[in-house]
Amino acid sequence: MRPFEYIGCESIEAAVGALDEYAGDARILAGGTDLLLELRRPGTSSPKAIVDISRISSLRGIASVDGTIRIGPLTTHTELSHSAVIRENAGFLAAAAGAIGSPQIRNRGTIGGNIMNAATCADTVPPLVALGARLTLRSGRAERTIGIDGFFQKPYTTVVQDNEVLTSISFAPCAPTARTAFVKLGRRSALSIARLSVAAVLVRDKQGIITEARIVPGAALPVWKRVNEAETMLIGERASSTLFAAAGRKVSDVMVGLTGRRWSTEYKEPVLAVLVRRSLEGCCSE
Amino acid sequence: MLFRVTQESCKQTMKKITIQTSVNSRTHTLEAAPNQTLLDLLRDTLGLTGTKRGCEIGECGACTVLLDGVAVNSCLVLAPQIDGRQITTVEGLANGENLSPLQKAFLDHEAVHCGFCTPGTLLSAKDLLDHNPSPTEHEIRVAISGNLCRCTGYVQIVEAIDEAAQKMRESNE
Repeated sequence: MRPFEYIGCESIEAAVGALDEYAGDARILAGGTDLLLELRRPGTSSPKAIVDISRISSLRGIASVDGTIRIGPLTTHTELSHSAVIRENAGFLAAAAGAIGSPQIRNRGTIGGNIMNAATCADTVPPLVALGARLTLRSGRAERTIGIDGFFQKPYTTVVQDNEVLTSISFAPCAPTARTAFVKLGRRSALSIARLSVAAVLVRDKQGIITEARIVPGAALPVWKRVNEAETMLIGERASSTLFAAAGRKVSDVMVGLTGRRWSTEYKEPVLAVLVRRSLEGCCSE
Repeated sequence: MLFRVTQESCKQTMKKITIQTSVNSRTHTLEAAPNQTLLDLLRDTLGLTGTKRGCEIGECGACTVLLDGVAVNSCLVLAPQIDGRQITTVEGLANGENLSPLQKAFLDHEAVHCGFCTPGTLLSAKDLLDHNPSPTEHEIRVAISGNLCRCTGYVQIVEAIDEAAQKMRESNE
């Protein structure tokens, strides 16, 4: 690993101060499961400073307050996948966190790091997009909260400025009648990087009619988004494999429309459709 | 590996950081370079070479240690981050000449073949049993899913952890 200065921070103020001081030549260290790989990668330049925020206790924890769920960005994937609040109110987010890497990676890796690294395969992001999460960023001078919709610009690129720290992730819990699912396809069952994934939410009324649907594919689109074209096909209908398969084909069509045909399309096009169907079926299974 | 050491020692312009840490219940005050990993600190500074250097990208699990009782890849932790923290390595499992129940079970079940994954796997297993004394086979398999073993096919390892769990439950009764 090339040399750098290490700045251990005990407070958000200290962290944003350090980011200001090193103006663009610092990287934030949270869980380190992505950053340390990057720092070791041959041919990449090292930042002048590593700003370690991992000891800032106010950036930890999961709370449900006044109908909003707030997750501290330093919450690890292990904590997220075991959290009763997350399991009850956004089961697919707990499932996505539990599908990341290995136990060792989940013990260190954080939800904030997963978001800020903005890899297309980031497992927690499709559920967060489906939840319409809001992200709060702090700099030395200001604080702003933005929707996750406008947060990502392209793979590995977000709207975050060099002097900003992610301080909170918040969202409204799913309706009590909502069912969620996260399905992930990797090249193996453990330690796998998502080749494709789908986060889905379905709400059905007492008669079994679908009243709300949210579908967010992962590792499929240039930036994550809900596929409204497929969601609207479901509203007012009854759950069925035929309907879900049609919605899956629609999601694939949207993907091909946005990305064009590339080497992986022949594979991804049918497989994404199946994953969408499975995720929707997952929302209906007891 | 020689190349790596040479490359790092040629440009040490960074300020060293003094850290205090407990490794296997012994307190150490150490000077760590900012870009030194916990793995380097354990092996090169403390001479605890039971922790293995494998992939150094957090995939093989050979470098697994417990950080405040939780399994982590020591190749993905910077040494300055362990200031004030407790580390357990494979050297900390036995009590003198007495092997821990997990170590005994690994020997009894021939779960050690080449042995390179063993230290890391033992610590993943310890994390599991410390938090879940009666794991199912599935839970055992998930717990060691971050430790790659190319020799055993995992069967003996899973059996060993299961037996160690039973023995530890019996001795606690």
